[in-house]
Amino acid sequence: MVDTPPTVEIQAARKPRLSGASFIWVIPLLALFVAFGVAWQSYSARGPVIIVGFTDGSGIAAGETKLKYRDIEVGEVEEVSFSEGLAQVDVHIRLHKDIAEYVDASSVFWIVQPEVTAQGVSGLSTVLSGVYIEGSWDNEVGEYADTFKGSDVSPLIKPGESGLQIAFRTTTNGTLTDNAPIMFRGIQVGQVGRAQISRSGAFAITEGLIYEEHRHLISSSTRFWDTSGFSLSVGPTGAEIDFSSLATLIGGGITFDTFVSGGDSASDGEVFEVFSDKEQARNSLFTKSEVDPLRMSIIFDENISGLAVGAAVELSGFRIGSVESLSGIVDFNQFGDSRVRLNVIVSIQPSRLGLPGEATAAAALGLLRDRVTSGLRARLASASLLTGGLKIELVEVEGATADQMLISEVDLPIMPTTKSETSDAAATVEGVFTRINNLPIEELLNSAINVMNSAEVLMSNGDLQKVPGNVSTLLSDISGIVTSEDVKNIPVALNATLVRVEGLVAELEKQRIAETLGKTLSSAAEAADAVTSSAAGVPELIANIQTVAEKAASLEFDTLIQELTSLTSSAEALISSPETAQLPVALSGALDQLNATLKELREGGAVQNVNQTLASARNAADSIAVSARDLPQVIDRLNTLFVQAGQTIEGYNKGDQLSRAAESALRDIQQAAGALEKLARTIERNPNSLLLGR
Amino acid sequence: MVACTRCTRAWPLGTPECGRCGAKLVSRDEHSLQKVWALWVVGLMCYVPANVYPMLKTKQLFTVDESTIIGGAFELAHHGAFGIAAIILVASVVIPLGKFWAVAFLAVSVRQRGGFTSHRRLLMYEVVEYIGRWSMIDIFVVAILSALVQLKGLATISPGPAAFFFALSVIFTMLSAQAFDPRMIWDAQDNDNEAPDHG
Repeated sequence: MVDTPPTVEIQAARKPRLSGASFIWVIPLLALFVAFGVAWQSYSARGPVIIVGFTDGSGIAAGETKLKYRDIEVGEVEEVSFSEGLAQVDVHIRLHKDIAEYVDASSVFWIVQPEVTAQGVSGLSTVLSGVYIEGSWDNEVGEYADTFKGSDVSPLIKPGESGLQIAFRTTTNGTLTDNAPIMFRGIQVGQVGRAQISRSGAFAITEGLIYEEHRHLISSSTRFWDTSGFSLSVGPTGAEIDFSSLATLIGGGITFDTFVSGGDSASDGEVFEVFSDKEQARNSLFTKSEVDPLRMSIIFDENISGLAVGAAVELSGFRIGSVESLSGIVDFNQFGDSRVRLNVIVSIQPSRLGLPGEATAAAALGLLRDRVTSGLRARLASASLLTGGLKIELVEVEGATADQMLISEVDLPIMPTTKSETSDAAATVEGVFTRINNLPIEELLNSAINVMNSAEVLMSNGDLQKVPGNVSTLLSDISGIVTSEDVKNIPVALNATLVRVEGLVAELEKQRIAETLGKTLSSAAEAADAVTSSAAGVPELIANIQTVAEKAASLEFDTLIQELTSLTSSAEALISSPETAQLPVALSGALDQLNATLKELREGGAVQNVNQTLASARNAADSIAVSARDLPQVIDRLNTLFVQAGQTIEGYNKGDQLSRAAESALRDIQQAAGALEKLARTIERNPNSLLLGR
Repeated sequence: MVACTRCTRAWPLGTPECGRCGAKLVSRDEHSLQKVWALWVVGLMCYVPANVYPMLKTKQLFTVDESTIIGGAFELAHHGAFGIAAIILVASVVIPLGKFWAVAFLAVSVRQRGGFTSHRRLLMYEVVEYIGRWSMIDIFVVAILSALVQLKGLATISPGPAAFFFALSVIFTMLSAQAFDPRMIWDAQDNDNEAPDHG
């Protein structure tokens, strides 16, 4: 057996299909791959397109206008077209993919463009960059939508923003301003949207938003009123101009207040009325209040013309209600006659009485009934002197007759009354008029006329009329005199005389006073004071020298003793010289005389004595000068003596006591000499000092 | 004999490398045409985004203006600058398109005889080779503009994505033209000449 190997199918080796292909083909393949990759990526990253319809496409351009959310770009306008029937502009916006899912059915879109309003300027950046579309949506994914209706103005309430959403309705004469702020105590707490006229045309209505943080301020009893413009009112309290701020004066605004307590917190969708002013808003509480008013009847005997429906009912000047109706009443059984009385039905607002607890009509009636037993009565009073209008006042009357409030099941409670206030006012006015009437006006006028007549007679008198002519002649005469040469020369002559007198006086002064007095006194003073101080210093000097001498003498040194002795003796000789001895006497005499003279002068003695006195003073001074002439010599000698003494003492430094004593003696003497010199200089410089004692 | 394509030195046939400059010596590159076509395709691919995307981004104060090559040229023409518009159109549109056409024509004409003589085709090849680099003038202008106009906030010019693609397109067409072996023109002529003899 021959094993034949199994037949093997032989196939021609397959020629690779791309064997001839170059490696270079990788490049276009790569490029293709990249291109597809990029294309796919950009396609997948694309967000959806939404269509927003606007009535007006001002400034919107395809490929340029952006969609912004919270001022960040989140899309771009791809196409702008008209809707079918050209009703609106359809703007196709390509959204960014990341935010696309949030753009749901509740989204709103509006065009942001520059706006200048009374509230301010907005969208200023769009002046140059062009308008953009702002979108707003909440942060929750909601129902899908791709067509929207855009607004030309920004919506008041944007999705995702919370706050109390309420509606406002105007009252009969009220007005509303678009986008007006809602202010409270000067702070903006909300905003009003765009106002619309209601279908019936009777009022305007708008939506309003109270910001979330101020939500609690609004309750169902809150009243809003318009603060735009200003109100001018003239009333019993005077003229009043009222406007809240300049911004609201121009741009309008509404504010609110909660005048009464109670009331539920307001909920979304509630409708509030906007009153034209605060007064109306406040009053509205009585006409439209949740609490039923207390109605009661007041029957007046008096004339009540001037009382009108709506007139105020006041308690202690505080309005608590208003007159509801007026009617006549005849009830013989009740009043005992058939007079027509006027029955006023008033409605009292219980919440205005400040009742504790719940404010109801029954509680108010209970309170009033209690007050009536203690004297509360109703009366008419003037509401306004100008218009003569009346109001009803509830007042406590002192010593009122015991009366009760008539309360019956079937009829309204009846409030007792008291005498009206109005008659008093009328009487006062009447009294004033009577007194004016009684004034003697006619007599006064008669005498006035008489006065006028006599004045006229006097005026028309010929003599009196001549007076002006005479006066003018007189004046011309006077002017002649004044202009005459003689009169003109008067000042010149006077001047010359004065000059002469002045010269004379100057001469006199020069000769008599300056020369005589000055010279005499200076010499006298010089001499006198130099001597005074020297005389004062001399005894001291002597004593000192004596002690020096004594101490020197007690020393055992012979030569010293001898020298000191001779020194002392010469000093003694000097001091005991008759000239020196006489010096003080003469000086004191001269000084006495001088003093006496000065005293006289100072005491305002006779001026004519001055010369005499001066002469004697001069004499005295002369004699003083004679005696004082020797003074320098004395001083010189003293000086030499002390120099000698000083030298001697310096030589004996060992004898401490002596040298110290001698030194002190020398110092004293030097001081004395110094004082003399100083005095002499002072007097030389200022001779008057002697005369005036200064 | 085979000539070195780089230094033109002639060597005996079969020599693997040029002894002078070291370049690879081949008589005919069999992949030459494939290279031409591959690079041509890439160049054409790049030329599409180069015309679709903006070439220049001009920022002025608040407005951003993006213009494509053709859009920019038309804008210039609209403002009356016909000369510059014409230059841009010629340099960025006519020349690149002409090059695509010329390279494609040459590559095709190697296989199939066209209506041009071999001399004219060689001339065409040389013109394409020479003129190819001038297309870069566009990129040059963009580079200079974006370097010069950088006034922060007031006006800024920056190159758009088209500039990148345009540059790529020019580069690939140049490479494509270089990959073409002009000797093939003569091969084709030789074939043409021999064919009548044999047949």
